[in-house]
Amino acid sequence: MPESAFQLLVEGVLDYAIFMLDPDGHIVSWNIGAERIKGYTEAEVLGRHFSVFYPPEDIAAGKPERELESAVADGRLEDEGWRLRKDGTRFWANVVITALFDGDGRLRGFGKVTRDMTERRRAEQALLERRRLVTHLVEAQELERRRIAWDVHDDSIQSMVAVGMRLQLLADRLGEEHAPTVRRLDDAVRTAVDRLRLLVFRLRPPEIADRGLVRAITAYLADAAPAFGLDHVVRDELEREPPADTAVTIYRIFQEALANVHKHARASTVEVRLSTVDRGTLVEVSDDGVGVVMSADLQAGLEHFGMIEMRERAETAGGWWTFAARPGGGTSVRFWLPTTP
Amino acid sequence: MTTVLICDDDALIREALHEVLTAEPDLTVVAAARNATDAVDLAERHSPDVVVVDIRMPGGGGIHVARELRHRCPSARIMVFSAHADPAAIAEMRLAGVTEYLVKGVPNREIVATVRKLARPREL
Repeated sequence: MPESAFQLLVEGVLDYAIFMLDPDGHIVSWNIGAERIKGYTEAEVLGRHFSVFYPPEDIAAGKPERELESAVADGRLEDEGWRLRKDGTRFWANVVITALFDGDGRLRGFGKVTRDMTERRRAEQALLERRRLVTHLVEAQELERRRIAWDVHDDSIQSMVAVGMRLQLLADRLGEEHAPTVRRLDDAVRTAVDRLRLLVFRLRPPEIADRGLVRAITAYLADAAPAFGLDHVVRDELEREPPADTAVTIYRIFQEALANVHKHARASTVEVRLSTVDRGTLVEVSDDGVGVVMSADLQAGLEHFGMIEMRERAETAGGWWTFAARPGGGTSVRFWLPTTP
Repeated sequence: MTTVLICDDDALIREALHEVLTAEPDLTVVAAARNATDAVDLAERHSPDVVVVDIRMPGGGGIHVARELRHRCPSARIMVFSAHADPAAIAEMRLAGVTEYLVKGVPNREIVATVRKLARPREL
């Protein structure tokens, strides 16, 4: 490439500030990218010391001089940090300073390439903030579930048990004319108590912190699957344990998927497979039931809330959720959550 | 006559238990406590044959009652009447010498039968 073409390239690049300093740090060349990023025209900036781009706290700390010294010592220096535009506003810069030596090894100056990373930094911080919010959301949901579970357990169930005990007494005292009615009431109360206990069981916090995700899921299945009349298989193909809040989200989606199998699939076996895929965790909850199309409940929209909840949980955590008929019959719920550090 | 002490922090349960037990001619409820501390005091005062306790209660729960009564009222036999069958709690109570553990929601006749079973050895 002829030298003039190379110069055109350097001068024309908009996305990078590319300029040169003399051995003392004074600016000796400038390009359009530098003008765009830093706000100075070539005429304004030539001859000025490059420390003009550094915020006061960096100048007080001697950072500009130190960076040149490092570049001389190591050949180059890379840094990320705040820099100043002409109007005094700050931008987040990636800076590479290269020391330039002639054939005799004498320092002739420095090449400096600066990129404006403000947008990328903003995006990274937005991502971090989102991650933090999701963590808080999961914690808040779990806290709320625990509260509801204790309330149901300590208050609703106890009250209904007491009502049931009194109904039984009443039935014993009434004549044969009314006793059967009261006994039916007692049965209804007992069924409601059983349902509330199941609710408490579903709401209670998973023991992921002590035992890991797979064992928490296996333990839940061991309790719940027989009650649902289901055989169960767990396939653990995890290479990494997901982080705690992700694991809780996975556990809750799995519970909902299992509840759907119980309510709608008319299945005899449920299989849960967990694997590490694409820097995240893939979970598949499959059954051998009647499948998606056959489910009248689905057509009636009765499954809707559970589906929306599962999908929202996965998407809030930055993942995806889907369900489909299995080729061999039955339904498969699949969801993936990223393992964000 | 078998004497029974009831101990539950839920007023509705206390009242229902009271009614169920006093409906039986051979059972009498001597007192009802709303926490573990009161239960131990009342047991010392009344020396009941049977103490019906909940697991989760203020003042140290059913386990506190069971441990204290072993030396403060050794003649009292304990029946747990709890809202859930927590294996850890069952094991802990067993170590404290408690053998009868009923989950709330069982039929009244089972409560009565268990109280009678616990009281029987003394009557023989």
